[in-house]
Amino acid sequence: MENRLTAYWLAAPSALIFVVLFIAPMAFFVVLSFWQVDYFVLTPAATLANYRDVFVNYWHVMAFTVALATATAVVTTLAGFVFSFLARFRAGKWAQALLFIVLITLFGGYLMKIYAWKTILGNEGVLNTALIAMGFISTPITTLLYSPQAVVITLVHFSLPFAVLPIYASMRGVTDIEVEAARDLGAGRWATLATVIVPRCQAGIVAGFSFVFLITAGDYVTPLLVGGKQTMIGNLIAPQFGAQFNWPLGAAMSLVMLLVAVAVIFVFRTLVAWWSRP
Amino acid sequence: MIAQTQMQTSGEPALLKLRGVSRRYGDVTAVQPLDLDIFPRDFVAILGPSGCGKTTLLRIIGGFVAPTTGTIEIDGRDVTGIGPEKRPTNTVFQGYGLFPHMSVRQNIGYGLRLQKRPRSEIDDRVAEALRLSRLSELADRSVTALSGGQQQRVALARALILRPKVLLLDEPLAALDLKLRHAMQDELRRLHQEFGGTFVFVTHDQGEALSLANRIAVMNAGRIEQEGGAETIYAAPATRFVATFIGDANLLDGERRDGEVRLAAGPAFADAGPAGAVSVVVRPKSVSILGEGEHAEVELAGTVAEVVYLGDHIKCTVGAAGGQSVVVHLDAATASRPAVGDKVRLGWQLSKQRIVSA
Repeated sequence: MENRLTAYWLAAPSALIFVVLFIAPMAFFVVLSFWQVDYFVLTPAATLANYRDVFVNYWHVMAFTVALATATAVVTTLAGFVFSFLARFRAGKWAQALLFIVLITLFGGYLMKIYAWKTILGNEGVLNTALIAMGFISTPITTLLYSPQAVVITLVHFSLPFAVLPIYASMRGVTDIEVEAARDLGAGRWATLATVIVPRCQAGIVAGFSFVFLITAGDYVTPLLVGGKQTMIGNLIAPQFGAQFNWPLGAAMSLVMLLVAVAVIFVFRTLVAWWSRP
Repeated sequence: MIAQTQMQTSGEPALLKLRGVSRRYGDVTAVQPLDLDIFPRDFVAILGPSGCGKTTLLRIIGGFVAPTTGTIEIDGRDVTGIGPEKRPTNTVFQGYGLFPHMSVRQNIGYGLRLQKRPRSEIDDRVAEALRLSRLSELADRSVTALSGGQQQRVALARALILRPKVLLLDEPLAALDLKLRHAMQDELRRLHQEFGGTFVFVTHDQGEALSLANRIAVMNAGRIEQEGGAETIYAAPATRFVATFIGDANLLDGERRDGEVRLAAGPAFADAGPAGAVSVVVRPKSVSILGEGEHAEVELAGTVAEVVYLGDHIKCTVGAAGGQSVVVHLDAATASRPAVGDKVRLGWQLSKQRIVSA
């Protein structure tokens, strides 16, 4: 009995941190999402009006956000897997150097990357200028920048380390003997990848996908700077807590988005597990 | 020096043929060009000290290392350029290489699933393999929850279920403790008999090689020094290295001149061959202490330097002329025990000794 009590005391600090930083704000948001704003004053209520607003007026923004975030997360996870594979199985002694490069890009600021892509993709950017100079095109391709593709490219670049790190970490656990055993038992290179390496990296792949999806789905700076007319849900949520002053609506949007994100990650996890079944 | 390849009496063609196989890593030659024939149903040990190239040779046979020169033929087919997944060989790796994301049953069925065999056939053969390797009780456990010996059996079952023409085992017993090692030796012998296949294993343990294999290839510094039946290797070592590596052996320095070998320790006997330094190999068990009036074909005198009681036998070291020493194993039950400092005469029969170039 005493042991159990001790265990509770030992767990108390982390439990406290968890409750204060995660549970309490979330609970506050849940409560807030049923309130309303009367003449710029937060008023307790029990209305579903905010949720109706979300589903009626904002569902297309949410759908676009989920689509764009899913696309970004899929592309980034794939790229992260390929990068990790090369670092783990092909790079030999250069593996550490490759990973160091990935880490370094994390320190290069977020905004810097966005502006870098603006410079590359813009009408008078590096890409268009080069293409014109080489004579492939005569007028700049105007759809490069301020488009969903530009948002995806920028976000993939930004979030790649978040995919590489967990995937590489799990891939390091795959031993050379396992790979040789797979080949010895009749698996070609692709079969080895599909039946041993991917299943062994499930946890890393799902973690990488989740990081990237969440970062992307919640991002509202990239779409502002390189995106087109289409806004992301983050661009609509942020003002609710500022200029628009509609915290309850913002809370409802956030919670719905959170549930959708959890659902997407759950679906992805299920797909990876299904793929990895022996 | 000599890669003796003795044909088996049955006259069957070799199942595995290596011809001029070598492997270089940069400036380092791991395996010198060598020939090796392995016959159906043989249990072959590739025996040698660490770094002698034995594992590289096994990996060349399995297809994990491409030979720098030479060809590998299995069952009449040249497999030199073929990857491990297409070779009729399967390997039990030193670290086993079990798949931790699969259960015992799934590990064993892996190869058959890759072959896209019908579900019912896979289930039947896996059940059979589980039964043969006494793993039925553990079938649905995770392989990470198994002991070393159990993991070893899963690795064996996973390889054998594919009915390989040649089963390769890389130091199969090295990771197990002594008691388990003896149990696994029995298990391997039993599997070899029941399975009726051809096993090739790599080991640095001469006792393991002698107890398991019917044929042994002794490797040293990238070369096969001798290849032959286990008994031949023990009784008639072809080189100084083989003599010292397998079992206890006395190596006596000598010189051959005009058809006679004279040992530094004293005795001389007729032996045809080129002139030069030679070593005479004689096992401690073959040497006896001669009593009054007893004689042997080779005799020498010496002084007892050390007597050690070892349970089933007494190890007696005798110092002889020319700074040579001879170890004699005496039966602990019957022999009268000599004392340190005794003057003794040692003797053995010519048929018990081997003369190898020094």
